[in-house]
Amino acid sequence: MSASVTADSHAAHAHHDDHGHGKPGIMHYLWNTDHKMIAMQFLVSAVFFLLIGGAMAVAMRWQLAFPGHSIPVFGHLLPSSIVNDEGAIMPSGYNVLVTMHGTILVFFVAMPLLIGVFGNFLIPLKIGAGDMAFPALNELSYWLFALSGVVMMASFWVPGGAPGTGWTAYAPLSSVAAYNQTPLGQTLWCTALFINGLSSLTGAVNYITTVITMRAPGMTMFRMPLPVWAIFLTAILLILAIPVLSAAAALIIFDLNLGTSFYRPSGAGQPLLWQHLFWFFGHPEVYILILPAMGLTSEILSVNSRKPVFGYKAMVWAMIAIGFLGFIVWGHHMYVSGMNLTLSAAFSVSTMVIAVPSAIKTFNWMGTLWRGSIHYTVPMAFAVAFVSMFVIGGLSGIFMASTPVDLFVHHTYFIVAHFHYVLFGGSMFAIFAAVYFWFPKMTGRMFNNTLGWIHFWMTFVFFNLTFFPMHNLGLGGMMRRIADPTVYDCLRQLQPLNVVCTIGAIGLGLATIPFVVNLLISLRKAPDAPANPWNSTTLEWTLSHPIQHGNFPVTPTVYHGPYEYSVPGLAKDFLPQNEKAPAHVTLEAH
Amino acid sequence: MKYLSFRRIVSRILWTGILLVPVLLASPAMAEQRSGNIYGLPPCVTTVGEQIDGLIKIIFWLCAVIFVLTQSTYVYYLIRYRRRPGVPAHYSHGNNTLEVIWTTAPTLVFLALAIYGNRIWENIHRPAPENSLVVDVSSYQFGWDMRYPGVSGKLAPIDIRKIGPENRFGTDPENPLTAQDVVSNELVIPVGRPVHLLLHARDVIHSFYVPEFRLYQDCVPGRTIGWVWFQATRTGEFQLACNQLCGTGHYNMKAPIRVVTEEEFQKWLVPRQQKNAGTAQPVAPAAPAASAAPKAATLTTPVTKTTL
Repeated sequence: MSASVTADSHAAHAHHDDHGHGKPGIMHYLWNTDHKMIAMQFLVSAVFFLLIGGAMAVAMRWQLAFPGHSIPVFGHLLPSSIVNDEGAIMPSGYNVLVTMHGTILVFFVAMPLLIGVFGNFLIPLKIGAGDMAFPALNELSYWLFALSGVVMMASFWVPGGAPGTGWTAYAPLSSVAAYNQTPLGQTLWCTALFINGLSSLTGAVNYITTVITMRAPGMTMFRMPLPVWAIFLTAILLILAIPVLSAAAALIIFDLNLGTSFYRPSGAGQPLLWQHLFWFFGHPEVYILILPAMGLTSEILSVNSRKPVFGYKAMVWAMIAIGFLGFIVWGHHMYVSGMNLTLSAAFSVSTMVIAVPSAIKTFNWMGTLWRGSIHYTVPMAFAVAFVSMFVIGGLSGIFMASTPVDLFVHHTYFIVAHFHYVLFGGSMFAIFAAVYFWFPKMTGRMFNNTLGWIHFWMTFVFFNLTFFPMHNLGLGGMMRRIADPTVYDCLRQLQPLNVVCTIGAIGLGLATIPFVVNLLISLRKAPDAPANPWNSTTLEWTLSHPIQHGNFPVTPTVYHGPYEYSVPGLAKDFLPQNEKAPAHVTLEAH
Repeated sequence: MKYLSFRRIVSRILWTGILLVPVLLASPAMAEQRSGNIYGLPPCVTTVGEQIDGLIKIIFWLCAVIFVLTQSTYVYYLIRYRRRPGVPAHYSHGNNTLEVIWTTAPTLVFLALAIYGNRIWENIHRPAPENSLVVDVSSYQFGWDMRYPGVSGKLAPIDIRKIGPENRFGTDPENPLTAQDVVSNELVIPVGRPVHLLLHARDVIHSFYVPEFRLYQDCVPGRTIGWVWFQATRTGEFQLACNQLCGTGHYNMKAPIRVVTEEEFQKWLVPRQQKNAGTAQPVAPAAPAASAAPKAATLTTPVTKTTL
C-alpha cells in the first residue's frame, strides 16, 4: 500500500504544484495538505505564541523582583485588565499572567513544536512515506489548533478578562462565577482547550495510522529512528489522555453556564473530581512534552558523536515504560490535596519507579557520547545541554516524589524550578536543537552559525541564572503564584534571589532575538544547504531541496537500523538506511 | 567627548554589573533577619518538621552525589571524546550487562526511598494524641478564622453543609456549646502540646501552609480535613499563608501565628472562654451569626466526615 500511495500522490501533486509557474499564492501557505507545509504552519504559529508567552513570563518576573513598580517602557502597552494606570501589574493581572503563561507555553508552544512541527515533518520523511495517512485531516488539525489559539486569546477582550485560575484551573474556583469573577474568560479558556484537544486527537490518529501502515519496505518497527518511536508513543498517550481533559473542561463549562454542580460541593459535587480528571490528563501530558524531546535529542547526539545510539532497544523500551507508568502517577500532584493518605503513599511508589526509565535514558545518552567523535555544532550544543539540564530536573523531582518532603515543598518555587528544568531545560532545549538540526532540510538553507552560537550561550547561561535560584527560593518557603512575596515577613529577605531570577529572565527574553533573527535572515537567502549537511543516515537526508509533495520519487527500501555510524571497514563514517552494507562489513545487532 | 572603544564599553558594563551585585544582596538588611542564610531552609519549629528535614538531608546528599558523578563524567566525556583528526568513533550498539545494572540499581535506590519516605508519612499522620488542643480553621476568600473550644473543653459540633458566609463554622446556633466557642483571627498555640487542626474552606480550595512548620494541607470545601496535627518545639511569631491560588486576593491571604508558652496560652484563652461562658448564661442567647439565620432543624450528625 505504502508504495502506491507514494507514487500516486507524487505524480498527482507534482502536476498540481506546477500550475502556478512562479511564486505560490497565499493560499499555498494557508491551505496545503503537504505534511511539510503543515509543519511550517505549526512552526510559525508556535514561535509567535512563544514570544507572547515568554513576554508574559518576563512581566511576571518583573513584578516578583520589584513588586508594585511600573514596568519600564512596556508597562503601558499591556491591557488594563493586567496593569494599573501607572503600568504596574495588579494582583488580579498577575493571576491572569500566571494562567496564560502556563496555558500558552504548554498547549500553544511546546505541544505544537514537538508534535505539530516535528511529528508532521519527520514521520513521513523518516519512514519513507509520501505523506500522512490522512493529509486533509492533518491540515484540519492545524486549523483547529489555530482556531483554539484565537479563542484562547479572545478571552483577554471579553468582559471580566482572561481567567486567573492557573493553568490547572482548580475547581470550584474555576467553576463558580462568584469565586473567579471571570466566567466568560474561563468559558473561553475551556472551549479553547476543547478545540485544542480535537486538534491533538486528529493529529494523533494520523501519526499512529501513518507509522503503522505506511512504513517503507524493510522499515520494521525496530528500525525506526527514535524520534519516530517517541512521537508514535506520544500520539498513543494523546489519544488516551486528551479526551479526559476535554470532558473535564466541558463539565466546567456546564457548571459555569448551565447551573450544574459537578465540582461545587453545595450542589453535592466534588472539588477533587476536577483534580483527578485534570491530572489523569496532566501527568501523561508531562511525558507528552518530554518523550518527543528525548527522541529528537537521542538522534542529534548520535549523529554528532558519529556513534550508534547506545542501547537503541533499551531506549525504546524505556519510552514504552514511561508511557505506561505515566498513567499511574497522577496522584503525586495530589499528595496534600485531601486525597486519601494511603493512596498518596501508593502514588509515591509508582512515582519513584517512573524515575527509573528516565535514568536508563540518561545513562544511554552518556553511553552514546562515550568513545565518540563529538562534533560541536549548534544543534549538538543544545542536545548536550538538554541531557545535563534533564539530569538536574530529574534529581529535583525526587524531592517532590517523596511524600513527607512534599509536605514542605509542595506549591513552592522548588516545583517551579523543577518543571522549568524539565520543560525548558528539557523540551525547549531539544526543540531548539531540532529546529537547528532540521532547518536545512525544512528550508534548504543553512542557518547562521554565529547567531546560533550566540543564541545557545545566552539561552544556556540565562536559563540557569533564571531557574537555579528558584530551588533556593522554594526551599526558603516561597509560595508559587503569589503576586507579591514581600507581604510575607519570612520571604522578604529572599528578595535578592528574586532579583537574580528576574535578571536571568530578561536575558532569556533577549536570547530569543538572535534565534528569531537567525530564522528570518536565513530564510531570505537563496537555498544553499547540501542535501545531507550532517552526514546523517536516516531517509529524509537522501532527498534534496526542494522536496516535492509526495517526498520520495522512488519508494526507498530500508536494509538496517537507523544509526549505523563509524562502521569499521567502510570508507565513509555513516551508512544510510537505504544503502546495503557491503559484503565484507558486518553490522552489530542493536 | 573622548571616544570609548568597544572593549572599554563592555568592561564598564561588566564592572557596573559586578559592583551592583553587593548592592542587590545588601537590600535585605532593611527587613528582619532570618537565622539561617538565604540559600537554605527556614528555621524548623515542629517535631514533624524535624523528621522532614532529616529526609530532605538524605535526599539532598543522594542527589548531590549522583549530580557530581553524572555531570563530571559527562563533562569529561564531552572533552575527552571531542572530534580529533584521525581518531574515529568506536562502533558499538550498547551493552546489555550495563543496561541491567543501570536499571536495577536506580530501581532499588528509588524503592528504598519510597518505602522510607512512606514510613515517615505514616508516622506523621498517625492519629492525634488524646491531649491535643483541637482548633477549627475556617478559610475563605481571602482570610482565616480560628475556633477554640470554650469552657467545657469541647468544640461545638458542626454540620459541614451549613458552612457559608452566614455561618462561618457551620455550627448549630441552638447548641449551647456554640456560644462558648472562642473565635479568633490569629492562630495562638502552646509550645510542647500537640495541636490538632480541623481544616475547612467556605468557598474555594485554600491551603494551610507554614514553611517553618514544614506543613502544607489543602482545605477543601464541603469536607473536614482532620488528619493534620503537629507539636511546636519553640515559641515565636510566624505567618500562616494560603498556598493554593484562590482568586484576586490570594497573594495576601495570611494570618498571624503565635507559638507561646503553655502559661501564656492559658492567659490568652481562659479570659476569652470565661467571657463567652458569661454571655452564654442568659435564657435567650443570641449568637452573633445566628440572629438572622432561620431556625435550623436539630442536627443529627455532629461532624460530617467525608473521604474520597
